[in-house]
Amino acid sequence: MILIIAMIAIPAALAIISIVVPSRISGPLTALGGLCTAACIIAADLGGASGVRAPDALSAIFLLPVAIIYGTVGLYTHWYVRAESPANSEGERYRREFLALTNAFACSEIIVPLLTNMGGLWVALETTTILSALLIRLQGTAAALEAAWKYILIASCGLAFGLVGVVLLYVAGIGPLGDHHIPQWSAYIGAAAHLNPDAVRLAFIFALIGFGTKMGLAPMHAWLPDAHGAGPTPTSAMLSGALLSDALYAILRFAAIANLAVGHGLSHILFFVVGLISLFLAAFFLLQQRDIKRMLAYSSIEHMGVIACGLAFGAPLAVAGALLHAINHSASKSLAFFAAGRLTERYETREIAGIRGGIATLPVSGTLFALAGLSLAGLPPFGIFRSELMILGGGFQSGSWILAIVVALLLAVAFAGILRWVTTTSAGSAEGEIHRGERFGAAIYAMLLGFIVVLGLGLVVPPQLTQLLERAIAIVGQAS
Amino acid sequence: MPLHHLSVPEAVAGTIAALLLLTQLALFRSVVLSELITLYAVQSLFVACICLDVGLVAGAWDLIALAILTFLFKVIALPIYMRRLMNGVSTRVEIPSKINVLLSLLIAAALVGIGCLTASQLPLKTGAFLPIADLATMLSIVFIGFLVAILRPNAFAQVIAFLTLENGVFFGAVTLAPGQPFVVGILVLFDVLVAVVVFAVLVRILVAIRSSAATAQLQELIG
Repeated sequence: MILIIAMIAIPAALAIISIVVPSRISGPLTALGGLCTAACIIAADLGGASGVRAPDALSAIFLLPVAIIYGTVGLYTHWYVRAESPANSEGERYRREFLALTNAFACSEIIVPLLTNMGGLWVALETTTILSALLIRLQGTAAALEAAWKYILIASCGLAFGLVGVVLLYVAGIGPLGDHHIPQWSAYIGAAAHLNPDAVRLAFIFALIGFGTKMGLAPMHAWLPDAHGAGPTPTSAMLSGALLSDALYAILRFAAIANLAVGHGLSHILFFVVGLISLFLAAFFLLQQRDIKRMLAYSSIEHMGVIACGLAFGAPLAVAGALLHAINHSASKSLAFFAAGRLTERYETREIAGIRGGIATLPVSGTLFALAGLSLAGLPPFGIFRSELMILGGGFQSGSWILAIVVALLLAVAFAGILRWVTTTSAGSAEGEIHRGERFGAAIYAMLLGFIVVLGLGLVVPPQLTQLLERAIAIVGQAS
Repeated sequence: MPLHHLSVPEAVAGTIAALLLLTQLALFRSVVLSELITLYAVQSLFVACICLDVGLVAGAWDLIALAILTFLFKVIALPIYMRRLMNGVSTRVEIPSKINVLLSLLIAAALVGIGCLTASQLPLKTGAFLPIADLATMLSIVFIGFLVAILRPNAFAQVIAFLTLENGVFFGAVTLAPGQPFVVGILVLFDVLVAVVVFAVLVRILVAIRSSAATAQLQELIG
């Protein structure tokens, strides 16, 4: 319990501290706080002798992406706020606001997987939207304003659909659980057989549309490339790496109830539809993208599509792959955003055409960007390769041969797109007078830490994580 | 349910549901921002009334308290706040030429039909007032709110669309699931209010940068 309190209290306290103390103090504190929180989450998830200390294994799984992101974002932000703001009072105001909002956003992202009350879950997700919209507009540019506006409007309207899902689930539970029940996930699971099946079906559809909007699933993804592309780099990493996973967590809670109450058919079909549309759309946008951060945003849509397809296949291997993919994607995507942020800062452009010879210009950041790109493309020995293989293997195992082949083909298209921009930006030498070389500092340590996770998860899945995955599969209720 | 079987509170609930839907449809007719805000205030008043109606019949103090809070925040505070925010901004809402008022209303009518059809397929036994009409009204208001947000390229109009959409969900929550914990209702209300403040911050910046609340100008990020 202490660890749970600590993982919420640290970022919450840092959010308040960042407003009142100078950024030269709150910056390092945020870096330290991020690492401490990550340690608390990992200890709570994997270190306990008596098992998981989070509400259950599914919560524990979805705390891990936040741990990876906040642990590295804290460090990276320490460099970012100084690099991106002038050393005057206006810059100091920006730094304080940025650090406070980043810590508050991390806190809200941690709270989401800890909640199993469906109403509370909705409130926490809406809170993440509000905080992240404020972070996106902090850039102060017209593009940032446009992205923030589209994001908060689309995500809030989408989440209203999610709230309809919560209300309908409550209605479904009135018969077996009473007029005044607490909308607790475990209560619905316990009474699944007696829930009103029609209301559960409709609740799941609304939840998938609502929380799927937040997860960036096509065709509800319109906000994602703008917000991830125009937002500050650490915010993009937090949005892509942790927030999408939070939304996935909410969907899985609904899916678990729907699977038990009305069978797997509905969730499988719907996951297939949104998964394949997302994959198709992202794969082709990846081929023709010109903006390096929007490229990474479309890659997020692609990977959310892969996860949805994994859930749709339904075989335990595929579901385990989907859950593991959420963790792998978080690690690789945050690393890619961090490194892209270093490149865009040095080249002073986000246009892929303007970035050449990334490795020669920034030996560490450029190399890590190329490696993160290869990881996102699904190459071994990185974690994403493993989880994609598990998803496809699960697809064949479940007998969905044609769909598994379609997914594999779309992944190949995305692979080609990503590989194209990785080679374009990384190889060769920079045009014009671009300063070469980089000094070791917080940003590089953050990226190296991220890279260790990306590579580590590819080489070995810790036995504690395997146990968590097995228990989480049973919770999702997809294992047949 | 035959009409003569309705009790007075049920008849009141049914009437308010119809009025709610009408105010939602009226959003398409209005091209002046102050009218949109008035419509939102009136709709919120209806929502507060139905919350009070259900609370009084069920003897639920939490719903009565929620009705009072809804009245204070949505009928009084928010409209005043939005009117202040509007100062110095063009009060006309642009209507795209391709989808005019008539066509918008036709699409909205089709959405109401979808809402009614969906609700009629769901034999919900909730013990609440007019369960089928409640669900149909909630779905229709949500769908139409979404449509208004899409079809009115004005920041204020889009915020009001979101708020009316939330009114629809709130109405559904109160009538279909009146036993929902008070704390959840309060949190949702609080969350929406905070969202509105953030919306307001963005609108202010938009107006400062572009001298207008028209969101059609936000076309930089494409592809």
